Amino acid sequence: MPTQPITANKDFNERQIKRIFYRRLGIAIWVSFLVAAVQSVVFFAQFDPAYLNEIASITISIGRWQGYALGFVFFWGFNFITGLFCGVIMAMPRTKLAQRTAHK
Amino acid sequence: MSTNETKPVELKLYKAHEKVYPRETKGRFQFKRKLAVFVLLGLFYFLPWLDWGGHQAVLFDLPARRFYIFGITLWPQDFIFLALMLIIAAFSLFFFTALAGRLWCGFACPQTVWTEVFIWMEQLTEGNRNKRMKLDKGPWNFNKIWRKTAKQAMWITFALWTGFTFVGFFTPIKELAVGVWTWNLGPWETFWMFFYGFATYGNAGFLREQVCLYMCPYARFQGAMFDKETLIISYDVARGEPRMRGKTRREAENPGDCIDCTMCVQVCPTGIDIRDGLQYECIACAACIDACDEVMETVGLPKGLIRYTTENSLAGKESRVFRPRIIIYGIILTLLLSAFGYALFSRSTIDANVIPDRNSFYRIVDAKRIENVYNLKIMNKGPVTAQYQVTATGLDGLKVDFETEDGLTAEPGELISVPIRIRADRAVANKKIHTIKVIVNEVDNPNNSSTETVKYFGYDK
Repeated sequence: MPTQPITANKDFNERQIKRIFYRRLGIAIWVSFLVAAVQSVVFFAQFDPAYLNEIASITISIGRWQGYALGFVFFWGFNFITGLFCGVIMAMPRTKLAQRTAHK
Repeated sequence: MSTNETKPVELKLYKAHEKVYPRETKGRFQFKRKLAVFVLLGLFYFLPWLDWGGHQAVLFDLPARRFYIFGITLWPQDFIFLALMLIIAAFSLFFFTALAGRLWCGFACPQTVWTEVFIWMEQLTEGNRNKRMKLDKGPWNFNKIWRKTAKQAMWITFALWTGFTFVGFFTPIKELAVGVWTWNLGPWETFWMFFYGFATYGNAGFLREQVCLYMCPYARFQGAMFDKETLIISYDVARGEPRMRGKTRREAENPGDCIDCTMCVQVCPTGIDIRDGLQYECIACAACIDACDEVMETVGLPKGLIRYTTENSLAGKESRVFRPRIIIYGIILTLLLSAFGYALFSRSTIDANVIPDRNSFYRIVDAKRIENVYNLKIMNKGPVTAQYQVTATGLDGLKVDFETEDGLTAEPGELISVPIRIRADRAVANKKIHTIKVIVNEVDNPNNSSTETVKYFGYDK
């Protein structure tokens, strides 16, 4: 496996960082989609979106179909944000201190 | 990776994706896989067209919040069945994975099943493995263009049909067909049809094994359910090695049984070499078993150089199928299935609610009797219109009274609400609070009933 120090090839590093970012983005999108599907099923089996619309404080009228779709998009969005945060926090910050400690 | 170095080292994380061209195989396992494809896809494409008792046999009617599954109608109140079903699915997965590895992946997973169909279409239009590889490398001449166009046309048609069928599980498919024909569809139907069609096209046409390698969560944790007695597809190293072919083989003194023809590698849909041992990429499709058996037969060696076997039996130890893990999973699964079946078929189709009238404790009817007033709500969860009767027990001489024009009748899915009065003797209902039971049952089928426990205010003066 070809390895090289991180400072040796700047272009390569830049590409690699981009790849890692896109990979994390892809994972966050995909996993949040899967979980949102399950969440929607469990949530809407218990709560009727039409009824939720009736008791909600907003005055826009939302039908069942729209309710399901909106719910799914909300779940997906929030899960995606969670996933993205995990990805960002998991990556070690690129400071000198972090580099020294991470590999000891 | 590096424990002593302070200098971080960049590893190349991913290899560029190489397209896998699986070679076609025949054999007993491939026959079973084809059978699975026909049965599963047959069910998928055929079921929505089937009618049952005046409605589509299988219809998940989300706007009306009810599911029809043949004679059974499920409502949001029946959520427990969905939960139970998911638990049963999980335990089946544990059970079958412990027993024989990734049976699900090889035979039943939609990803595998649809990929199979897409590969058949590819073979039909572009030819066998060698022709496909040559075609992809070759220039864009007339032959390549028309073959690729034909393949895309077949793929897209099939994917759209799949999307249409998928939506047909949620919207009555016959109305949907008319809607498609007259180009008059709602935005949701259109969106989901194209979305599911596109997902099928992308997953089965292009992503294929990458879905299993990078996207599937099951592929990542299935290894945890394996033990040394799990049936896995394995290459018999002791028998096969040293592998050699051609001249070297003829001149060698004691060659292994593997003739190194690489057939097992060529047929693999995930592009691995099974001779390297069990790998997480292996979806247990058993194509390599069939390919190797065919080769072994041709060269006159015993079959089964690659076969379903266990880690223990490969190591020459005794192997047993019935071990605590299998027995425990088996018992739990059987219990869950029986509980599910019993609960499903003995469930009441009446959902009754008795709510006390909160304005008064009791009312005096005459010198001898009092009454409590309730609001009775009945929902008919059954598939046909039903008439109900109400009785009360818990105190002697309870009498239920209500005023409606046509008795308590509810259509399927209808919720009726009726004020009821329950009368009792003052002499009997002489405590401050009694507990009584209100029983609602179907007139035609008294066993179908629902019992509610409520408070009854007595005459304690």
